[in-house]
Amino acid sequence: MATRRGGTLTVYTRPLARLIEQLQRLPGVGPKTAQRLALHILKRPEAEVQALAQALIEAKQQVGVCSVCFHLSAEPVCEICRAPNRDRHTICVVADSRDVIALEKTREYHGKYHVLGGLISPMDGIGPDQLNITQLVRRVNKQDIKEVILAISPSVEGETTTLYVGQLLKPFTKVTRIAFGLPMGGDLEYADEVTLARALEGRRELD
Amino acid sequence: MYLKTLHLRQFRNYREQQVEFSAPKTILLGDNAQGKSNLLEAVELLATLRSHRALRDRELVLEGETAAQIAAMLERETGSIDLAITFRSSGRRTVSLNGESLRRQLDFLGMMNAVQFSSLDLDLVRGGPGERRNWVDTLLVQLEPVYAYILQQYNTVLRQRNALLKQQKRSIDGETENTESASFNPILRDEQALPYPLTSSPPHLPTSSQTELAIWDAQLAAIGSRVIRRRARVIQRIAPLAQSWHRTISNSTEILDIRYAPNVHAEQDDPSVVQQAFLEKLEQRAIAEFHQGTTVVGPHRDEIEFTINQTPARQYGSQGQQRTLVLALKLAELKLIESVVGEPPLLLLDDVLAELDLTRQNKLLDTIQDRFQTLITTTHLGSFDAEWLKSSQILTVKAGQIQL
Repeated sequence: MATRRGGTLTVYTRPLARLIEQLQRLPGVGPKTAQRLALHILKRPEAEVQALAQALIEAKQQVGVCSVCFHLSAEPVCEICRAPNRDRHTICVVADSRDVIALEKTREYHGKYHVLGGLISPMDGIGPDQLNITQLVRRVNKQDIKEVILAISPSVEGETTTLYVGQLLKPFTKVTRIAFGLPMGGDLEYADEVTLARALEGRRELD
Repeated sequence: MYLKTLHLRQFRNYREQQVEFSAPKTILLGDNAQGKSNLLEAVELLATLRSHRALRDRELVLEGETAAQIAAMLERETGSIDLAITFRSSGRRTVSLNGESLRRQLDFLGMMNAVQFSSLDLDLVRGGPGERRNWVDTLLVQLEPVYAYILQQYNTVLRQRNALLKQQKRSIDGETENTESASFNPILRDEQALPYPLTSSPPHLPTSSQTELAIWDAQLAAIGSRVIRRRARVIQRIAPLAQSWHRTISNSTEILDIRYAPNVHAEQDDPSVVQQAFLEKLEQRAIAEFHQGTTVVGPHRDEIEFTINQTPARQYGSQGQQRTLVLALKLAELKLIESVVGEPPLLLLDDVLAELDLTRQNKLLDTIQDRFQTLITTTHLGSFDAEWLKSSQILTVKAGQIQL
């Protein structure tokens, strides 16, 4: 009799079982999705599967982080840091490379970035020394920086990180943080209390 | 407000159960461990998103299943609303209002209000301060839903700060052991024998760690003072109500006083004054916190004191007095919620009527009348007044099924 655990081995032929197991390690992928993806891969032409495998390995081998701003990059210094037409005097500090991508999509920001690589969270053993904070201070100290914009989410950990980084940078330059509040097109009456309170806190005078 | 229907799916020991409430009073009759309290728990969850019995959502899901659901139709003065909560054995719970799932659970709170009264509530008087803090917090969540968010933020800051204090303690403990064994300095001997350093801030810590602690201090004080001020306010409102109920039930022989004893005491109820007092106390207790490796200042150490005729009810109250006190608290909760929300909340009586003597029972039943929709669990109908039984809907609960 096949037990539940042995099920994977007996139901799927070995190489397929291995593929499913690997796929299942990806975030957000459960056993059902893994099975669907695996069966889909088997149906595709071999060249396409080759290309996928190649892309996986090349991405892993070639993508590291920029030595200046720590954004994901295949070069030692990333494209944003090298771009001559971007404002060299403004740095936007974010927690994660995903935030850089989100901000870039707006096409509203033309300065440089600095990726901290996480948020201060003692519970997870992450203190200031585990983040790219010293590198940021050195950058601000050495270069002619006119403004540092802190774009970190307003969670408890984000707030602590913002306050910490802000305190360190204040002696060197102007430090600002992005505003939090109501979503565009949102009705005031539907906003929840927390967001509204936040928006009130960050109110400003009409131009 | 009136709960019209309740639908339980794979919740606790119910596989699939639809319940229609056809009278303001419903008696759930059945032996122990049949599912009576589970039904009340479902109502409690709809009102507060908290359960006083379950630590994890997994416990709420029927054995062998992956998800449970509670759905309800509630009649309010403004119209009827559909509420639903889905619990998962692994994963987050989701809530929906009128068929639309809500991004924030906060928006679900306050839709339905209920006061729970069970035999466990005697722990409110007899138990530790945690029981009383939990009582105030549950009440506050219903009155001011945003409090749920504040409390959650406070607990996160607290856990983070505790983790940091523990780390700091560990790093210093390791360091002093090393230096002691490495270099022995006879001149410093006396100083080294001190149980803790003389300076107020622990030495040897890297600046980054000290700066980080200062920021967690500021966050703890900012959010903590919001918790303190809201607790103070709700206690101030409920105290006179409970006092008047207690006087009535005890036939004017006893005077109940409820006093908030916050861990951080401030002279004025002003946000900046409370925050300042908080920060000052953190500074005073810095050495103790450092050596214990945990946060000893803040509302997680609050106490709420009940005194009857100026005697602490916890130590000196008799059984009867303690029961009167709990009953007075619950009646005060009903009235307070009603006055704030503008509609009478539901009352959940879990196995508690039988424990009250006739006088107290009648006081309770007089108050309820038909104004507060009431769900009552009991193992036998013997202790109920005949008139009362006549106007009640009686449901029999047996092995996770309800029979009319």
